[in-house]
Amino acid sequence: MKITLELFGSSRDFSNKDHLEFEIPNECSIKDFRKVLSNFIDENFEGNAVFKKIIDSSAFCSEKNEIISDNYKIQKKQKIGIIPPIGGG
Amino acid sequence: MLHTKVVDIKEKKLSIKEAENFISSSDFGASIFFSGTVRNQNNDKSVVGITYDSHDELVIKSFEEIFNESDKKLSVKNKAVFIEHAKGYLNLGEISIIIAVACKHRDEAYVLSRYIIEEIKKRSPIWKKEHYSDNESNWLKGNPILHEKI
Repeated sequence: MKITLELFGSSRDFSNKDHLEFEIPNECSIKDFRKVLSNFIDENFEGNAVFKKIIDSSAFCSEKNEIISDNYKIQKKQKIGIIPPIGGG
Repeated sequence: MLHTKVVDIKEKKLSIKEAENFISSSDFGASIFFSGTVRNQNNDKSVVGITYDSHDELVIKSFEEIFNESDKKLSVKNKAVFIEHAKGYLNLGEISIIIAVACKHRDEAYVLSRYIIEEIKKRSPIWKKEHYSDNESNWLKGNPILHEKI
């Protein structure tokens, strides 16, 4: 199934657009999705270590704007957001 | 009484006057206005501006949660709170955040204002990209978001 990943903060450097699209297996967990993202960095940014660190240290949020754990299963074609470490104010 | 907004700086600038209008009431004897502004130095680098990025829906949700929790955690029941955060590119000296609170007494107003900014730093998904005088720019490191996960 296809999902859209909305980019925020430092993850915006992953693309010139504000989102990326991925084809993932049904019921893919967030933990497994991190691997999909890591592969994307390998293929498009020669394994950029800074970008990989962003993936490892980020949280993710669902379409319903809830922070989701690594065990959360992405069950339908949906939009999720990557939430890198924050620091507003 | 609560007002929250993420303000696109291309549409308008944050205004202390608007905050004052919102919290003003004869019910309250103490008002605190906190504003965060863009400063010209960070980590020995000369800063010329900051781009703020935001997950707007989650930010508003976090502002509301922080406001509601303050009832129980701080026992400040009767209050007016105005929170606005900017997004987009801000020049030096421009306001990135306003937190205005009004309470019956000064003790609770000081505590509430401090509580809100500290919780926003930990929980509201907002990011800063600093721009420097040498034309370089950099996303600031930040801290992992603190939040209940499902």
